[in-house]
Amino acid sequence: MSAEPDDGLNWQRPSPKLLRCRRIQVALVTVLVALAVGLATASASSVAGAVSAVGVLVAGLVAERFLARRVASWGFAERNEDLMVRRGVMIRRQSVIPYGRMQYIDITAGPLERSLGLATLRMHTAAAASDARIPGLDQAVAAKLRDQLAALGETQAAGL
Amino acid sequence: MTTPLPADPPRMPVAEGVPAGWHRLHPLTPVVRAGSRLFALVAVLAFIALANQRQDSSEIVTDLVVIALALSGGFISWLVTRWQVADGVLRIDTGLIRRDSRRFPLSQVQAIDVVQSGLARILGLAELQLRVAGGDASRGGRLACLRRADAERLRAELLAYSTAARAVQAVSPGGGPVNGPIAPAEALDPATADPGTGAIPAGAAAIPERQLFRVRSGQLAVAIALSRPGAIAFAVVAAVTAFVAVTGKTAATATFLPTAIGIAATVWRWFNGEYGTTVSASPDGLRLNSGLIQTTAETIRPGRIQAIRLVEPVAWRPFGWCRLEVDVAGPRVRRESRGESGRLRALIPVGSKADAVQMLAAVLTSQPMPDKLVPRRVRFKAPLQYHFLAFGSDDNYVVSSDGRVTRTTTWIPLEKVQSVRWIQGPVQRLLGLSSVRLDVAGKRVTGAIEDRADAEARDLLMRLPDLARAARARSG
Repeated sequence: MSAEPDDGLNWQRPSPKLLRCRRIQVALVTVLVALAVGLATASASSVAGAVSAVGVLVAGLVAERFLARRVASWGFAERNEDLMVRRGVMIRRQSVIPYGRMQYIDITAGPLERSLGLATLRMHTAAAASDARIPGLDQAVAAKLRDQLAALGETQAAGL
Repeated sequence: MTTPLPADPPRMPVAEGVPAGWHRLHPLTPVVRAGSRLFALVAVLAFIALANQRQDSSEIVTDLVVIALALSGGFISWLVTRWQVADGVLRIDTGLIRRDSRRFPLSQVQAIDVVQSGLARILGLAELQLRVAGGDASRGGRLACLRRADAERLRAELLAYSTAARAVQAVSPGGGPVNGPIAPAEALDPATADPGTGAIPAGAAAIPERQLFRVRSGQLAVAIALSRPGAIAFAVVAAVTAFVAVTGKTAATATFLPTAIGIAATVWRWFNGEYGTTVSASPDGLRLNSGLIQTTAETIRPGRIQAIRLVEPVAWRPFGWCRLEVDVAGPRVRRESRGESGRLRALIPVGSKADAVQMLAAVLTSQPMPDKLVPRRVRFKAPLQYHFLAFGSDDNYVVSSDGRVTRTTTWIPLEKVQSVRWIQGPVQRLLGLSSVRLDVAGKRVTGAIEDRADAEARDLLMRLPDLARAARARSG
């Protein structure tokens, strides 16, 4: 991954457990799809079933290789007046959300995230297209960040 | 606020043009309220009566009773509804079982509109819609229905009263100035109020509204025919006629009927919605009146405009026509379907470039033009758009232009920017380009500065939030 200029900002990363969470997700999906595909093609011939199942497993392993880069690309930085969030490997994105424009912040956690003690923080503005999402934060960190952002948002509220 | 109370409370003017006491709405109101349902009911009953060929008196009586029942709800509502203008407040009382009394302070009126539905227009009635500052737009006051002339006169009286009341409040200490780029020039004329008693004489002039633009029906019809729904309609008709001509099976055309009806409905709704669009400047903002069968009126306050878009479709370019739209924050206008609310409000449904330039001068406080073109290497990525991609900015707006077949220029007020995003796809990375997007409230418009040199885009990403903040601070 070509070095992304840091712009002198203090980029923070999600928890290292996020990689484990993503790996488990990919593994689950790969196994399920391999089973389904294998069973479907096994009706034709058992060899074809085994081959297709192995093919899906190989695809899953390849996807896992890319996971590490994707997870490493998530970052966020708290500046004085706004929050910056960056993500993505193929399509790189970086968002700037002024604190005063934050309408509300919510923290969600799916069952897998919860079992690993992680949560996803989302910031919403009045624009539907604003996508500031930080997955894989430790729950305590997420709660603290939410409170910080809410306090900053209130002092700088700018509404519509 | 720590300003002390004024020694004398400001004397509020008295509206003499509106007769005192409680008034009823027009007796034909239940008919208009029942609306097209009544028509359908009467048509069905008449059809049945004619088909049966029996003029039995009991059947006719039954039919009349059914119609009377359909109208009864509206009739009861009309009986218990009354309105009054007193002490600077419009009061509307309604409700039989649960009394609902609404009061609208006239000094805080934002907009008063006279609108007509199709049935009301046939009967010569109109509805008065009132919107008050700070209130929920969907709970604005409605007087439905009055006679058209009465409704217009009442609107003029209430508007004159409201401007005089606001002028009195603005002059007295503790009153705030009226803000907005369109406000100061238009006449707020407290001189119409009698200085002695503060009474406004009957028939006082309403706020002068300067008409900025009115769409021409012929142009609108041709423009719709040349646009995408029109083209699809032509294609469907051509396909059907070709099919019938080649195979000679006219019965099969029935399968095209739903599609044809759908497209015809879209085209009709477009034409009906934007027929006679008239834009005028008033102290409260831009007033937008439009509609053929069913008229609607809307006031667009300058502070609510999130984005302005100038669209030049390829089919209109030989004529030099264009379309100017604005994206406005706020709740949907009543009676607007979801499909329509996805489209932006059209200030100029179709007009010449000169009209557009004039309207832009009225809507924008400053007009940056997109003059910074994209680097040459964008030709490899977007050969068709290459010539049109550009952006420009100043202290108030960011303007960007793009388009393959439809050339679009979008102005985004910096004070309305919600978030700024930087995006770089794999092809852009190879070419050393990236894009910046500006988000505004809602989901209809996003300002897109596409395919800039990487360093320039990153610089924009850092600078634009600061510019936006400065613009917000300036606008207060």
